[in-house]
Amino acid sequence: MRYVKIKGDKIYEFLERLKNYGKLYAPVKISEKFYDRKEIDDVGEIAFDYQRTIMPAKKYFIPPCEEMFEIDMEENEYREKLEEVEPFVIFGMHACEIVALRILDGVYLNEYPDIYYERRRKAGIIIGLSCLPDEYCFCNLRRTDFVDIGFDLFLHELPDGYLARVGSPKGHKIVDENPDIFEEVRQEDIDAFRAFEEKRQEMFKFKGNFDNIRYILELTMQDKLWDEESEKCLGCGNCTMTCPTCRCYDVQDIPEIGGKKGKRIRFWDSCQFRSHGLVAGGHNFRETKRDRFLNRYICKNSYFYPLGTSYCVGCGNCTYFCPANIDFQENLMKIRGREVIHE
Amino acid sequence: MNNMNNMNNVYSLYKCRVLRVYDLTEEEKLFLFRFEDAEIAETWTFTPGQFVQLTITGLGEVPISICSSPMRRGFFELCIKKAGRVTDKIHELQPGDVVGVRGPYGNGFPVQEFEEKDLLLIACGIGMAPLRSVFMYAIDNRWKFGNITVINSAKTGKRLLFRKELEAMRDVAEAENIRIIQTITRDPDWPGRVGRAQEHIKYANTSPENAYVCVCGPPQAYHDIFTKLIENGYNPRNIYVTLERRMKCGVGKCGHCIAGSSTFLKYICIDGPVFGYYDIISTPGLI
Ligand SMILES: Cc1cc2nc3c(=O)[nH]c(=O)nc-3n(C[C@H](O)[C@H](O)[C@H](O)COP(=O)(O)OP(=O)(O)OC[C@H]3O[C@@H](n4cnc5c(N)ncnc54)[C@H](O)[C@@H]3O)c2cc1C
Ligand code: SF4
Ligand code: SF4
Ligand code: FES
Repeated sequence: MRYVKIKGDKIYEFLERLKNYGKLYAPVKISEKFYDRKEIDDVGEIAFDYQRTIMPAKKYFIPPCEEMFEIDMEENEYREKLEEVEPFVIFGMHACEIVALRILDGVYLNEYPDIYYERRRKAGIIIGLSCLPDEYCFCNLRRTDFVDIGFDLFLHELPDGYLARVGSPKGHKIVDENPDIFEEVRQEDIDAFRAFEEKRQEMFKFKGNFDNIRYILELTMQDKLWDEESEKCLGCGNCTMTCPTCRCYDVQDIPEIGGKKGKRIRFWDSCQFRSHGLVAGGHNFRETKRDRFLNRYICKNSYFYPLGTSYCVGCGNCTYFCPANIDFQENLMKIRGREVIHE
Repeated sequence: MNNMNNMNNVYSLYKCRVLRVYDLTEEEKLFLFRFEDAEIAETWTFTPGQFVQLTITGLGEVPISICSSPMRRGFFELCIKKAGRVTDKIHELQPGDVVGVRGPYGNGFPVQEFEEKDLLLIACGIGMAPLRSVFMYAIDNRWKFGNITVINSAKTGKRLLFRKELEAMRDVAEAENIRIIQTITRDPDWPGRVGRAQEHIKYANTSPENAYVCVCGPPQAYHDIFTKLIENGYNPRNIYVTLERRMKCGVGKCGHCIAGSSTFLKYICIDGPVFGYYDIISTPGLI
């Protein structure tokens, strides 16, 4: 891998230069408690120490609502609606969210590639940023705390700047075209990188991994924990909307007034909604709140074989944003049996 | 198998024209379609058990199993039950009308594996739709298969799908070692066989140790049918069923059809809708 260093005093210039490669999106603080990613004009606004954003980066690849086809009722036609996708740069993605994006790639770019997603994915430049876990993070248990591929550049915090790993041809291009920003990595930078990684590992609430959780979960589907926890759930769908790998969508044909035109749109859906499993005649494949609640645990903990991880990357968003204070990680810990965790 | 892979947008629709409409029952109609584009009509093919997504312009899209044989190039049939917004509108279609279709999707039945073996098809209600495709395919390739039995069941004689078609074939079929059994569960006036489909397994002409079995019906019926099949000596490894879920995309994206457990999470639309016996019984949540 190619490593380069960005000196601390060059970071804002670096961010400024990123705008040459496309619209720049980065996390900013939007309230006392919350951060969100938005288009950046003033790079001084960017929050480097954010933990999580209210909307995961998936929104740039799968918008909450998009028009897929324009319907021409008179001609009986569905015309593909592919808007120009301009290049864009997402700055500050954490390791877990980059793995999440690769999980979305596995889903959206399989043998039936989704052209809407693919075009945005090709236009996007991903700049990763190192982070320190808070009490909600458990990416270590998911083995997604460090990312090897899926970014163009990945910045690791140093006392006096950033150590950058170059992960793609686009990443090399950025480094090559901005020689005044980057310099060579020295021994003390490597030492600092090592120290950061070590400190980070120590900060995780639990050690170990969740490799066997899907088997344990399968064997404990009757457990009364699921009755109790699902009882608290409001079915609001916050957990799935804020999850970086949840991607369920619904499709609707909307006629326009006048009846000559219309739109086929798709928009984010949630398995926590009653309508998600409902079919004609009123039968529901996920009839009870318990069914729907458990469905998310099953789905997120199942194996995503192309990547060798689960569908959950351990970001903690679903817990952080749950209005009913339902703790996803805690519930998994309970089902697994706490005594097996070596702290 | 899927000749639409090279299309750059998997959600794009192909225009299909309705050629004929047949009333089957009070709730189900059979539609014969042909692709408008001659090239697609000539090349489009599928495996029995696969489905298409059918759009009524401005109203929406529904998944429907193909119920004809893939050997009839250029044409395909769908048997559709009036069940809601989109299917109600489909029932108003007349010959000459145009709809949008994409697909075929799903894995289908492993019909190649069935070759040289006997074939037992067990349908309850609308389950006859996908199984008719397997049946027609087997008839079109009669020399490839051993004995064949179709058990077609419904609540009443009036609701029996393809009743007349199967009745008309019965005597000729028997001479070809194809047995057709039609049975009814709740109709005192029905002159023929009565009882649930599984009660007629013993009358099949298929030899259990040498047969493949395809089952399609309401999932609640599956356990009972499995028990009867195994009691009669059928090999559980040779039993296949099709499943249904709410579907929006058909291509493994929208997440609606996801089912199963955390060690066996499946997209019914691409990993199914056809599953083997052991997958079904060892996975909580599939049926
Ligand atoms: C693989 C597969 C094969 C099928 N094959 C057949 C067939 O051969 N013949 C037939 O009559 N029916 C079949 N169905 C069921 C058929 O898709 C539903 O009856 C139909 O979607 C109902 O749509 P609606 O708009 O009329 O009903 P509404 O109740 O108004 O449904 C609204 C929307 O919900 C979704 N939906 C509702 N019910 C179902 C359902 N059962 N399955 C999937 N999505 C649903 C659809 O997107 C539908 O447009 C099949 C379903 C699946 C999944
Ligand atoms: S965010 Fe919490 S309350 Fe809302 S659906 Fe998810 S688990 Fe239930
Ligand atoms: S399930 Fe929860 S912790 Fe796991 S990736 Fe989704 S939001 Fe993050
Ligand atoms: S129907 Fe959309 S994922 Fe299966």
